[in-house]
Amino acid sequence: MRSTRHVVPEEEPGIGHYSDPPLLVLASLASGPKHGHAMIEDIASICGTRLGPGTLYGAIARLEALSWIEPLKPEERRQPYRLTGEGLRVLRAKLATLQQFTKAGLQRLEAL
Amino acid sequence: MKPSVARLLTRLYPRRWRERYSAEFEALLETSQGWRSAANVVWSALRERIITTGGNPMESFTTMMKRPSAFIPVAMSLTALAVLLGSIAIFGVVHETDEGATAHIWQLLMAGQMPVLAFFAIKWLPRAPKPTLCVLSLQAAAALASMAPVFFLGL
Repeated sequence: MRSTRHVVPEEEPGIGHYSDPPLLVLASLASGPKHGHAMIEDIASICGTRLGPGTLYGAIARLEALSWIEPLKPEERRQPYRLTGEGLRVLRAKLATLQQFTKAGLQRLEAL
Repeated sequence: MKPSVARLLTRLYPRRWRERYSAEFEALLETSQGWRSAANVVWSALRERIITTGGNPMESFTTMMKRPSAFIPVAMSLTALAVLLGSIAIFGVVHETDEGATAHIWQLLMAGQMPVLAFFAIKWLPRAPKPTLCVLSLQAAAALASMAPVFFLGL
C-alpha cells in the first residue's frame, strides 16, 4: 500500500495525484531543511499528496543511503534533513526530465 | 497517535532500521492520526523486512570474515599447520634438541598473527559483538588446530 492520501479535491478522480515519494522528499527539501512532519505538510501543499509516515521514512532511508539527503542536529526528538550537493544535482536532473516530458506532452495536446 | 501505539508500530520494523530511525519515527507517529497512517506503517514495516531500504549497515559473520584483520590470522594459523604437517609428511616426527626452520616458521606465523588479532578484537568487538565473537572463535579454533600436532606429538 503506497502512502498517499489526497488532501485537495481532485478535479478528475480517476487520474489521482503525482506520487514519487523520493522525488517529493527531495523537492520538499529544496526549500530548506525539514523534519518528517514538516515534509508531509509541505508535500501536501505543493502537490496535494499526503505521504503516510511509513512511506515518508521509506523514502528518507533510501535517500539517506544514497547520500542524497543528510541528517542535521536533532531538535528534541525531531530529526531535520537537508539536501546534499549530490541530491541537489539529482533533483535538478529529474525535474529537467519531467519538464521535457511535460513540454512534449503539452505540445502534442496542442496539435490535436 | 498514542506513544504506546507509536512504539508498538515502530517495533514492526527490523532492529537495524529501528536503531537508526526509531526515535524520530515515533515522534512523527505521535503527530499522525487515523487508521490509514497505522496501516501505512504496518505495510511499510513489512516491506522493509523484505526489501531493505536503510538503517545501520548490518555486520554479518560473512561480511566480517571478508575483512583482512579477520581472515589473515586464520590463514596464518592454517599455513602454520600446513607447514608442520608438510614437514611431518616429509621427515616424519623428529624430536630435535635444536629448533629447525619449520619450528621457526611456525613460531613466526603464530606470533605474527597476534597484533592482527588484537587489532580486530579492539576495533570490532564494541561495534558488532556477535559476529566478532564468531570470527574470534574461528580464529581460536584455527590456532588450536595448528598447536594440536605440536602438543600431541611433543614436537
